[in-house]
Amino acid sequence: MISRRGALIAGGTGVAVVAGGAGAYKVATGDKPEPPSPPSVNADGKLLWRNWSGIQNAYPAARLAPKDEGELALALKTAQGPIRPVGAGHSFTALAPTTGTLVSLDAMAGVVGWEGDAAIVRTGTRLGALGPMLAEKGRALPNLPDINKQSLGGALGTATHGTGTKIPALHGDVTGLRLVTPSGQVIDADADNNPEVFQAARVSLGSLGVISQVRIKTSANRRLRRRVWLEPFDEALANAEVRWAQHRNFEFYAVPFTGLAANISHDETDEPALARGPDQDTEFLEALKGLRNLLGFATPVRKAAAKALLSTAKPETAVDEGWKLLSTERPVRFNEMEFHLPVENQLKALEEVVRTIEKERPDVFFPIEARRIAADDAWLSPFQGGTRGSVAVHAYYRDDFSFLYSLVEPIFRRYEGRPHWGKLHTLRGQQLAALYPRWNDFLAVRQELDPEGRMLNPYLKGLFGLT
Amino acid sequence: MKRGAVLVASALILAACGAKPPPPPTPEQALALRPADARLAALYETSCRACHAMPETGAPMVHDRAAWDPRWKQGEAVLLDHTIQGFNAMPATGQCATCTPDDFKALIRFMAGREDSAK
Repeated sequence: MISRRGALIAGGTGVAVVAGGAGAYKVATGDKPEPPSPPSVNADGKLLWRNWSGIQNAYPAARLAPKDEGELALALKTAQGPIRPVGAGHSFTALAPTTGTLVSLDAMAGVVGWEGDAAIVRTGTRLGALGPMLAEKGRALPNLPDINKQSLGGALGTATHGTGTKIPALHGDVTGLRLVTPSGQVIDADADNNPEVFQAARVSLGSLGVISQVRIKTSANRRLRRRVWLEPFDEALANAEVRWAQHRNFEFYAVPFTGLAANISHDETDEPALARGPDQDTEFLEALKGLRNLLGFATPVRKAAAKALLSTAKPETAVDEGWKLLSTERPVRFNEMEFHLPVENQLKALEEVVRTIEKERPDVFFPIEARRIAADDAWLSPFQGGTRGSVAVHAYYRDDFSFLYSLVEPIFRRYEGRPHWGKLHTLRGQQLAALYPRWNDFLAVRQELDPEGRMLNPYLKGLFGLT
Repeated sequence: MKRGAVLVASALILAACGAKPPPPPTPEQALALRPADARLAALYETSCRACHAMPETGAPMVHDRAAWDPRWKQGEAVLLDHTIQGFNAMPATGQCATCTPDDFKALIRFMAGREDSAK
């Protein structure tokens, strides 16, 4: 048995040898070029803003970075609309683009206090920076998403989550928040004080104003033992429920065109730290892309090659503080669709998605992610009303992602999925109202706090069915 | 003074002869580096540092002249454009929503180890 890294390196050599002649030509040309990019500066001299994956862009008239709530309140009161808060730009949907004012809270970051074990955190804090700040007090966020670049505000606003049957998404641990409204009013809200604002604002897509700080529960900063192992996809499916019940955090990735799945578990431990080692995920993706480029024309051959290259990889183990393992850099850019499904539908939907992609789209190589998230009661939380199982499909940022809409979304919708607010989907207005029992209550709070719709860009107006 | 002048002259001659770039910073040194200007340091810390001071992100490491030299040769305009647009693993604007083009130029100069743009 060799490591996944070793298998990939050996595999890469094998692929190169097999490739030769015309094959090598395919490897060299299989990658698409950089997607076309809009001008860096528009005709009015405004600077381009673009999201992380590159598919959303805008030329805002103004970009503001208030340093405190006073500046933020004044900015919201006076700025040209649409006013859109922006974090790291990790949303794939058009939540941030505006021709008006982009508001970054990068200058409003850090832990500003504690109430018992709950931290008071400014929402401009990037998740990657928050881990060490909390660790100084021996605390940590119980769960984290895959990517550590997002701002806390952006992550909360879009119901960003990690994985763990008993662990809610980030907003599920928020017990209080401070909202600065478009009129410049500052509202403190929690379950007892302004409860309707609290339930509406925890997941609100930056549409009620700007949340400047939150009170968020933390847990002891325990060391976690991380395991990554490959196995046949069928076995991963058969064992998934047991593993979700068994592990603190568990997720698995169906690796299309390989017949394999990659499992990842995290469990608390007192074992000594064991370094995670070099980033194998990026190499894994590169190898999968190489197989796509070389053998994408013949699925059976591609599957046989992938199995031969990868099935001998031994499990990887690392031990470290949770914030260092759960959430990382993820340097390979992609576009993504993720829906949150009733748990009884999750694995059926996953199987169907994998089957459909393998039948219709041999250009896809990114693994398909399955996670589990505990319930919470925020009105626009996709986990409102019960634990949900998420399935996420990715497309390399240079590749065509239209199949997400044409092939994948219909499957998710048939299985009663709710879309991730920051990821690609086409649902609007009444379609969303049918999925969220408190949809109209949310819209009423939005109308009250922003009657002129200054926080709404065209995308949000459409999403809320206001056009 | 005289000794100092000799040292400066030697350094200039070495530079003119294409002397080897200084060794890259260790990972610990890279993590500790910041622009001297406090405002730029804050922008750097929020946006650039997460990749450019972390080995294995694929980004050229701060003050690693060997990694930056071939990029620097493309010219400031190209580097600025790649920064604003995004390029390969580099996300657009390095995820700094409020940086101006001048901020980006100063940050690139700092990371490339060329705070003095004449270098």
